[in-house]
Amino acid sequence: MSENYPFSRILVYLDGSEGSMSASMYAVLLARSTGASLHALYCINTKALGDLVKAHIFVSQEKAEYLEDLNKDARRHIRHIEKLAQSKNVTVRGEIVEGSPSAEVSRYIKANGIDLLVLGPVNMIRSRREELTSENDRMLRTASCPVLVCRDDEKLWQMFEET
Amino acid sequence: MGLIDIIRKDLIIVPLKSSKKEDIIDDLVSLYCEKNNLDETRKAEIVKAVLDRELIASTAMDKGIAIPHAKIPGLKDSAVVIGISRLPVDFGGAEKSNIFFLLLASQDKPTEHIQILSSIAKLCTSDLFVRMLSASKSADEVYQLFFD
Repeated sequence: MSENYPFSRILVYLDGSEGSMSASMYAVLLARSTGASLHALYCINTKALGDLVKAHIFVSQEKAEYLEDLNKDARRHIRHIEKLAQSKNVTVRGEIVEGSPSAEVSRYIKANGIDLLVLGPVNMIRSRREELTSENDRMLRTASCPVLVCRDDEKLWQMFEET
Repeated sequence: MGLIDIIRKDLIIVPLKSSKKEDIIDDLVSLYCEKNNLDETRKAEIVKAVLDRELIASTAMDKGIAIPHAKIPGLKDSAVVIGISRLPVDFGGAEKSNIFFLLLASQDKPTEHIQILSSIAKLCTSDLFVRMLSASKSADEVYQLFFD
């Protein structure tokens, strides 16, 4: 643990959404002001891809095409957070994994001693249907460490520019 | 954004009146274009993208569900248009389809596209949900099913 803070290893989860970009900015600022190390994880959801093929919604050719798109998206977002971190003199360890996002985040937290997970916004509760639960919601419920949810995109972007 | 964030009551057709695959796709895309003020040229591009995907293999699944979908260049936000037909239609699958989810996906957000399709697929594993969708008599009833 850092001397004055209850966490020393921050993980931010990236999924390509604007919300996860805001979370990245917040995580970079948090790492800079607390001295905590920063990790960034993008999980390519191969579990969902496999399920879509099994359900005959995707054909194999389409699965391969999406895998390529997702890999490009993952690399783009890891590069993006590296640039954000660099601009604030913070080092980030970025990693791309494949599988079920909530399970992979849980695994990463345990394997790397993460003690704070930073997420983009979670859904408002508009449906009780479990099938409509987002990956961020699942992570919020299943993470074995404290979770920080970033909400106000515009304010965060402004804070990042000004800090 | 997940499925729940993009479902709109004004993008649901109950009942669909067409009885051919191409016409159903046209009806669903037309509604999307009408609600988003898109012109005929754009509509033709979207219809072509969806039909091109159907040419590779039909997106008809079991339980009478079909999920035509395509990545649309220049689309900012993903959208779903839902249609329920009273009579099952030959959509190219092993069985006929009467529930249609048209997903138009932003090219720049593959993770979102996968997540939305995955939510639709998971919802449709519930026999009760599918029966209730099939029996819905209005867009209101369909919309409400997702927000129970």
